Amino acid sequence: MKNKIKQNFKWYFLGLLFTATFFVWYAVFAESDQRLTVAFLNVGQGDAILINTPNDQQILIDGGPNKQVLAELSKVMPFYDRSIDVVIATHPDQDHISGLLDVLERYEVDFVMEPGVESETTVYKEFEKLVDEKQIKKILARRGMKLVLSDNIYLLILFPDRDVSKMDTNDASIVAKLVYGNTSFLFTGDSPKKIEGYLISIDKENLDVDVLKAGHHGSKTSSAESFVGYASPEYAIISAGKNNRYGHPHQEVMDILEKFKVKTLRTDLLGSIIMKSDGENISVK
Amino acid sequence: MVLIFGFIAGVGVHSFFDAFWSAAIFAVLLVFSALVLFFLTSRKKFFLTAALALAAFSLGVWRYEIKDQKSVPAVLESRINSEAALRGLIVDEPDERENNTRLVFSAESLRQDGQWQDISRGKILVYAEKYPEFKYGDFLEIKGILKEPENFSEDFDWRAYLAKDDIFLLMNYPKIEKQGEAGSFIKQKLFALKNNFLAGISRVLPEPHASFLGGLVIGAKKNIPEDLREDFKKTGAIHLVTLSGYNVTIIAENIGRALTFLPLPRFIGIALSILAIIFFTVMTGASATIVRASIMAVLVLLARSTGRVYEATFALLAAGFLMVLQNPKILRFDSSFQLSFAATLGLIFLAPRLEKYFSFLPKNFGLRGQAAATASAQLAVSPLILYLMGTISLVALPVNILILMFIPATMLFGFLTWFFGLFHYLISLPFAWITWLFLNYELWVVNIFARFSWAEWLAPNFSAFSAVLIYGLLVWFVFKPQLFPGFFKNNERAPLEVLRQTKHYIEKKAEGEFAGKVRGTKNSAELLTGFAPALWSKETDEFEIEEIK
Repeated sequence: MKNKIKQNFKWYFLGLLFTATFFVWYAVFAESDQRLTVAFLNVGQGDAILINTPNDQQILIDGGPNKQVLAELSKVMPFYDRSIDVVIATHPDQDHISGLLDVLERYEVDFVMEPGVESETTVYKEFEKLVDEKQIKKILARRGMKLVLSDNIYLLILFPDRDVSKMDTNDASIVAKLVYGNTSFLFTGDSPKKIEGYLISIDKENLDVDVLKAGHHGSKTSSAESFVGYASPEYAIISAGKNNRYGHPHQEVMDILEKFKVKTLRTDLLGSIIMKSDGENISVK
Repeated sequence: MVLIFGFIAGVGVHSFFDAFWSAAIFAVLLVFSALVLFFLTSRKKFFLTAALALAAFSLGVWRYEIKDQKSVPAVLESRINSEAALRGLIVDEPDERENNTRLVFSAESLRQDGQWQDISRGKILVYAEKYPEFKYGDFLEIKGILKEPENFSEDFDWRAYLAKDDIFLLMNYPKIEKQGEAGSFIKQKLFALKNNFLAGISRVLPEPHASFLGGLVIGAKKNIPEDLREDFKKTGAIHLVTLSGYNVTIIAENIGRALTFLPLPRFIGIALSILAIIFFTVMTGASATIVRASIMAVLVLLARSTGRVYEATFALLAAGFLMVLQNPKILRFDSSFQLSFAATLGLIFLAPRLEKYFSFLPKNFGLRGQAAATASAQLAVSPLILYLMGTISLVALPVNILILMFIPATMLFGFLTWFFGLFHYLISLPFAWITWLFLNYELWVVNIFARFSWAEWLAPNFSAFSAVLIYGLLVWFVFKPQLFPGFFKNNERAPLEVLRQTKHYIEKKAEGEFAGKVRGTKNSAELLTGFAPALWSKETDEFEIEEIK
């Protein structure tokens, strides 16, 4: 036994070197992308969006309804990366935060951002408990907050602009805009039409973006014609589950997007949608 | 042997027919035996065999009848379709699905007129929300509507499937309150160890790699995404994720190996190994496949310790007998039991016959043996899978050969990852990365092959008759030389049993345990020279195996 190991030692050593070299190159390629990545993950009926900056900061917006988010995350992150800088829970509904519980269990998370709306659901209670247990810093999202990710990349919070603790959970959804150079993305959670209207009324200039995540999985309760008009996106993303029982996305929303000649990408048809921005142009994979 | 067959036949017959028809079949068999006896010349031997078989047959029917008597406790029966408040234990590991969790709850008391009243235990399948989470041994108070399970499709008898585990009732999303903890201490610790393993590896490995490893090493079913599970099914590799007998064998061997390093008396070492295997079986949830493999592994150990020859056929039969004795319903209603036995039979009987067809493969890394083993196991389970699920994987062979080679290494590094993670997760990182490399390769293979549209062949109307027919052909293929010796030239008569045993002895001998004589023919001796120098003597029809240095 011992002799055998001695005999084969150089082969073991070679194997070890080979493996090490492989990992080095893997890391080099994984880290070398100088573009901003925004991945709309295919988590079924729910939302989960990962933002990965050129400096390898990661922000996860929502986690979908279950553990599926974990498998999707590992497709877009290098396998050795076990940390996410900021997790944003747009609002405490099960199809947005349930998967976040699994993320918090497995990844090292520095900050959790939430709108501060109260919810009686067990998922939300477990979520709060876990955030406390892991001693993750909690931030209440408020309009005007800016997460500066690097010189010309930032995430701007557009809503809520007040205490929303007693509001309906969908109404309280965090709405945020990601800007990199001349490109921008708008994340809307499950925000309904009335919040969309409110945002238009207070600040319509800021709504103009290149990519819009259509609110509430393409439900007709969101994506008002005027809102899509002011956002005037090139792409719209619909994050919905295949053959979901709500019939999302609704035809009315599809018609509106059609009318404004928006290229619509759906996770229920395409799986995860990965967009890259170099600050000037956006490409879709 | 005769007894076991008779017993299993009895159980089998009664699981298809009720008591009256079973008795009728018994009577027919009795008359038939009597007739044969009347015409037969060598009566004595046959008389004994038939008598024993028929007695065992009756015992089998009787055993099944006892099991079948069990049903809903009377107190609960009156509450079906109405609300009931119950207290009891979670008696199995919670089965976490994508959007809910299933608990097997054993009711101990029922609330009646404001009083808690003890009842005879009855198991209830409880559907619960994913959160809050519960675990084995939790003592709960639940309140909800009791229902009887209903079959949701014609192809699958879900009621019978649940009934085999004595589950006759279910409750959808009741109000659950945890009141404390009870349950077996050992089981609690074992499940805690399992969860510790899963947590340890999922801290350093991404998904679905961590879940795959969990399935591979300790049979953890949860977390594997549905589409990946589908891919594994398509490529005929699903047995890896659900912890197959193969994995158990690897683990049992390594437990034994690890224990030999300890300075213990032989007897204690073996006792410890057996104990470890039993604990491992309980920890994994003791599915039929694992129990089967564990019993066989324990028999290997026992054979070694007592200096007897381990005979796989006998071990398999013994395992089957014990399991059917313990729960006769698995024979018909537990597909994992059926598949596991079919696969093992394939390995024992088909593999030695198929090996010659793989002579184009090199013997390095055990490639040829692996290929023959895979092919025979696949061949043996295919008709059953076709009948049960109506699909068959056409890429199972290449996928399994490509993956199985690396499974032992994957398991070893996965285990090391967890072990070093116990000290600090940083120490476990290098091991985690190597494990990741293996896992990623295996997932990649599955992924590539699952993408072929022709990877899976659908045959939704595959009948039980066709399955039986194919099994008949397989049995004929295996036994034809023995059954019809006249048809074959004398030297072609492959003494299968001898060959296999001899191969086994040689393997044993390589470990310094055997040298001696085996009966055989020239043909088998020639075949064997590939393995070891074997001297055949024409006079005695024996060949002798030399000592290997």
